[in-house]
Amino acid sequence: MKILIVEDEPALNRSMLDYLSSQQYLCESVSDYRSAMEKTELYHYDCIVLDIMLPDGDGLKILRSLQDAKRNDGVIIISARNELDDKITGLKLGADDYLTKPFHLPELSVRIAAIMRRKNQQGNNLLIFEEITIDTEGKTAAINGKNIVLTRKEYELLIYLIINKNRVLSKGAIAEHLWGDDMDLADNYDFIYAHVKNLRKKLSQAGAGDYIHSIYGMGYKFANH
Amino acid sequence: MKLLEKYNRLNITATILIFIIGSCCFYFLLNYILVRELDEELRSEQQEIVAYVNLHQTLPEIIPTKNEYTFYEPVSSEQKTINLSGKNKYGGEQEEFREIHFTVAAQGRIYLVKVAIPTETTEALLQAIIGITIVMIGLILLAGYLINRTVIRKLWQPFYQTIEKVRSYHVTDPNIPALEKGDIEEFTLLNQSINDMIARVQHDYTALKNFTGQAAHEMQTPIAVIRLKLDMLIQNEDLLQKNATAITDIEKSVQRISRLHQSLLLLTKVENKQFLMNEQVEMDKIVIEKCAEYSDLAESMGIAIMTTLTPTTIQFHAHLADILINNIISNAIKYNKPGGAVNVILHNNTLSIINPSNTGSLDLEKVFKPFYRNGNSQEGTGLGLSIAKQICETAGYSIRYEYSNARHVFSITFS
Repeated sequence: MKILIVEDEPALNRSMLDYLSSQQYLCESVSDYRSAMEKTELYHYDCIVLDIMLPDGDGLKILRSLQDAKRNDGVIIISARNELDDKITGLKLGADDYLTKPFHLPELSVRIAAIMRRKNQQGNNLLIFEEITIDTEGKTAAINGKNIVLTRKEYELLIYLIINKNRVLSKGAIAEHLWGDDMDLADNYDFIYAHVKNLRKKLSQAGAGDYIHSIYGMGYKFANH
Repeated sequence: MKLLEKYNRLNITATILIFIIGSCCFYFLLNYILVRELDEELRSEQQEIVAYVNLHQTLPEIIPTKNEYTFYEPVSSEQKTINLSGKNKYGGEQEEFREIHFTVAAQGRIYLVKVAIPTETTEALLQAIIGITIVMIGLILLAGYLINRTVIRKLWQPFYQTIEKVRSYHVTDPNIPALEKGDIEEFTLLNQSINDMIARVQHDYTALKNFTGQAAHEMQTPIAVIRLKLDMLIQNEDLLQKNATAITDIEKSVQRISRLHQSLLLLTKVENKQFLMNEQVEMDKIVIEKCAEYSDLAESMGIAIMTTLTPTTIQFHAHLADILINNIISNAIKYNKPGGAVNVILHNNTLSIINPSNTGSLDLEKVFKPFYRNGNSQEGTGLGLSIAKQICETAGYSIRYEYSNARHVFSITFS
């Protein structure tokens, strides 16, 4: 799975590169418009993480050239501008998703995973972690082949945890993923605790191992140990 | 008081005063002249009589006429000649007369001669003059009134046009009013000054807006860096274990700052009217969607959301409608009693969101002000209701807060 990161801010570029590389993605990164154009012309990527505000050019042009070349690389736009127009233009130009800065790395990772799943339509819509299987098409989860009933939020939470497995996930990042960032309620993390508790209970009742670990009051980690 | 009215009052008072004083002077002057005229006549009569007496040594025969009465009275001594006015019944009726009294010696005796001329004609003349004066005052006032009504109103028209344009002008409105030059110097000067002022205000406003926008965007990158580095940092569990509280606090603060930042950006955008309210939005559907989104959360807090919705389609902006409903419903859940309820009623173009209070009434004056928080609550950005209010104002709808029966009631009227 190849990912190209186009981001001019070195610190952001580096963090995304590190995080995504550690998730078994093959990552490359560039920090300006010209090299991004070069890379996209030469190679195909499964997903391009594209900052549309670059010092030497408009990132939307890269999108346009991809569209003109009828390429089907997945594209996720990241922008400092939370402008609805930008978002609509970007999506019209064939971008698959749009993230506004600042975002959480696990969020980026979950969005990329979703794009990858959509791009690889050949029956590869199963997410598997040990005995847990999630069918992202049918939106169902099963333990040892036996379906379990989850609420929508619990289902989303489980996907989020599995995609970001072996990672410490802060409650803030989880809250934002589940509720969106325009939600003031996310300050109150009690309800995340409630969701995690319910999910954990449902998983263990269905016979799954206890994979959700609480990490020092900071957040959770989904791991097999 | 209107300028015109004030001017009219002064003008009319002055006109009336001048006319009254003028009429009085005119009256006295005319009276004086007429009396002198009569006296002249009487004196010539006196001279005629005296001449007659000197010639014939006898008094002339009295020929009574309507315009002149003469009487002789024998007196003991000579008297000074006097003129006087008074009422008498010489002609049978009581009348006003001008008289001359003098003595003359005839046939060895002294006679007092009285000659009287009625002043009736003079009075008629004076009355006519006064009448004409009053009619003239009336005519002048009427003419002034009519001129003011038509001409002056017309003359002031450019002024009222300017006022109307300035009143409807709003700094965020992209339509800058065009104030034309007129043929009246004062109004042209006024319009020019206002044009200049608007240009300056517009320039400052644009500069400020651009600055705010840029500053906000510039802030976004550092916040993003902090967040991403923090996401990386917490992967180091050793470090996390030793600094759990500090890192949790930092994480929360970053979360807070970024939400605050986004809320401010949104508020600015709504204030700047960067959203066009030209979409047909089905409010009932948005409410249903939002309530479904929050149902899990509300349930986990033991709060029931109850809706009574009438299908309502309004002119709005879908994204803003979403934020508006979101902000109010999330507050209703957050500041609720344990085990309470949220009632959402959409009826007659009015959306009411009602929930029992956990703290008592909010400050009615400040509830929609930015950064207002009830009590010492540190949760939230303190911008949710400001944004809601701004959205309503921009869309031309009204939002109200009431506290009744220990319940918070937020009502939005879409009309």
